[in-house]
Amino acid sequence: MPAIFPRWTNNIPIAIGVLAPLVGAGLVFAVAYWFSPRYTDVGYRPEQPVPYSHKLHAGDMGIDCRYCHNTVERSAHAAIPPTATCMNCHEQVKTESLRLRKVRESYQTGEPIEWVRVHQLPDYAYFNHSAHLAAGVGCASCHGRVDKMVVVEMVQPLSMGWCLDCHRNPEPNLRPLDQVTNMNWDPAAEDYDPKRDPARTRQVNPPLHCSGCHR
Amino acid sequence: MAYARRGLRAPKAAEREQAATMALLLLGLALAGCWGNPSDEPPVHLQQNMDFQERGEAQERNDFFADHRVMRPPVPETVAVGHLKEDDHMWRGRLPNGALADALPAGLELGPALLDRGQKRYDIYCQPCHGEMGYGDGPATRRGGGFAVKPANFHQDKFRPVPLGYFYDVATNGKGSMKGYKSQIPVEDRWAIAAWVRTLQVASNAEPSDVPEQAAAAMADQRPRRIQ
Ligand code: HEC
Ligand code: HEC
Ligand code: HEC
Ligand code: HEC
Ligand code: HEC
Ligand code: HEC
Repeated sequence: MPAIFPRWTNNIPIAIGVLAPLVGAGLVFAVAYWFSPRYTDVGYRPEQPVPYSHKLHAGDMGIDCRYCHNTVERSAHAAIPPTATCMNCHEQVKTESLRLRKVRESYQTGEPIEWVRVHQLPDYAYFNHSAHLAAGVGCASCHGRVDKMVVVEMVQPLSMGWCLDCHRNPEPNLRPLDQVTNMNWDPAAEDYDPKRDPARTRQVNPPLHCSGCHR
Repeated sequence: MAYARRGLRAPKAAEREQAATMALLLLGLALAGCWGNPSDEPPVHLQQNMDFQERGEAQERNDFFADHRVMRPPVPETVAVGHLKEDDHMWRGRLPNGALADALPAGLELGPALLDRGQKRYDIYCQPCHGEMGYGDGPATRRGGGFAVKPANFHQDKFRPVPLGYFYDVATNGKGSMKGYKSQIPVEDRWAIAAWVRTLQVASNAEPSDVPEQAAAAMADQRPRRIQ
């Protein structure tokens, strides 16, 4: 009886033995790399309806974040400023600029400018800006150097693992309570010990239990 | 062929195939992208897992309402419970006789804490235009052709005799081409800012003899020695 399988099929088990782990490792790598929020979310930089630049306003002119995001210390949500806030200045400077046409229109009609949202947690996760600022976590720890961005971009994955990395060991990310909006404050250069800061009246205690963030 | 001209030998077919595979692989990687590549495409999440639910979040768009705003403006001519601004001194900076008050309202106490708060809030909300020291030369006025109407200089003589309530009133309702800040700054902070503007005025016009003895001693220690 002639052989059913030709001779070369003897190599199949070896080939499978060699290739399967390779393919498996490749798959694991692909999922870990390309399904990670560090790939899917970080770097999201939508084009905005008005070419507003944080680099110009917050960086070069040094306007404090809270001039525009004024609710950030008092509430969970950091308010995107209404058109009226822009008009505080833009009724006086660059009054004819074409780039500000939408701002002027919005001010006249009362229709809000529809800014494209950059950072967005899933609706089942709870986040609160005021709690983090009161604990002395700076904007730069979570949003990066916004004062160098012409267009706002996501620099952190905002994943649960990222939240927990800090919640387990918040100390390196803490700064003096009046430096939270200071983009130039460098934790590495500054020798700051939160335990010895007299302005802090209590130890920070970030939640690690599920209901802290899924409430 | 380009290769030949530079004195190189032509690649063999196998080498060409190899190069093509490598180029394809690299291209594939480049297309697939790396962590953190900027992109204006919204993030793709294959598993949506109730990421977005029927819920209104602050400042979101919502088509349920005719004006598409989730955050509902208050009904005209109504006042929410607990939001009646009864205290004239606190909310309007005025005494019962209608004149501008020259003192802080009851409940706010002049002291280092209030002035510190005032300075920090001034540096956020007023400094961009009026400048750190109040001379009307803030960073926003020095760019893009400058302001059509210059922000006021608080050290002008006409602002010396004005009552404290005046600064509160301007910070709240604006004046001339300056807009009011009542929606941006809470009421206590506006009083703290007013107190800080007064402090700047006093400081710019002070004599060495105005400094209390204790503070003067501390200052003398810190003052850099002049080289004679
Ligand atoms: C002159 C007003 C102004 C100032 C000052 C300002 N911002 Fe903004 N910010 C805006 C506006 C308008 C938007 C919405 C448009 C956009 O995303 O560019 C925005 C958007 C953002 C966003 C993205 C919000 C989202 O959709 O997820 C972040 C983060 C942010 N700002 C952080 C900061 C930080 C940090 C500072 C201080 C260094 C700052 N901003 C100062 C006006 C301002
Ligand atoms: C504190 C004052 C101030 C505020 C508040 C402010 N801006 Fe500006 N903005 C300026 C100044 C000053 C310039 C001109 C800078 C320059 O040309 O050097 C400018 C320039 C701009 C430009 C570029 C205009 C051009 O023709 O080059 C845009 C767009 C702009 N601002 C948008 C905004 C928006 C949107 C807001 C509200 C979120 C805002 N600005 C709030 C002061 C301000
Ligand atoms: C601990 C991390 C953290 C810090 C510190 C932080 N943010 Fe955020 N920020 C976030 C997250 C997470 C979101 C997305 C919130 C959501 O989707 O509900 C966000 C959203 C925003 C938004 C969009 C509006 C919103 O609330 O969804 C703005 C504007 C903003 N941040 C500004 C700031 C400014 C200004 C500061 C500093 C004063 C700051 N943030 C500090 C994590 C942080
Ligand atoms: C850079 C550090 C850091 C990051 C990143 C961070 N947190 Fe926190 N978080 C803190 C600290 C510090 C506290 C403690 C506050 C305290 O004890 O006053 C805190 C407290 C909280 C609280 C409790 C607030 C309250 O009302 O008691 C919640 C909820 C929370 N964080 C959610 C989140 C979520 C969700 C994320 C991720 C999107 C996140 N945090 C990312 C540092 C961080
Ligand atoms: C510090 C805040 C925080 C704590 C504590 C926390 N989570 Fe989360 N969780 C988040 C955030 C933020 C997300 C959304 C992450 C994202 O966008 O990928 C999330 C997402 C999830 C998801 C959905 C994952 C997905 O992609 O579908 C599950 C399930 C979950 N958390 C379970 C838990 C459990 C169980 C615990 C307790 C052991 C817990 N979480 C504690 C912040 C937290
Ligand atoms: C966007 C720029 C800008 C900001 C920010 C600003 N101002 Fe002004 N301010 C002006 C301008 C412009 C004038 C001159 C108005 C005029 O003469 O028509 C002025 C005038 C004034 C005056 C004098 C009014 C008069 O009688 O002539 C006072 C007092 C004053 N501002 C207080 C403040 C305080 C307090 C703050 C902080 C809460 C502040 N301003 C923030 C632009 C600004």
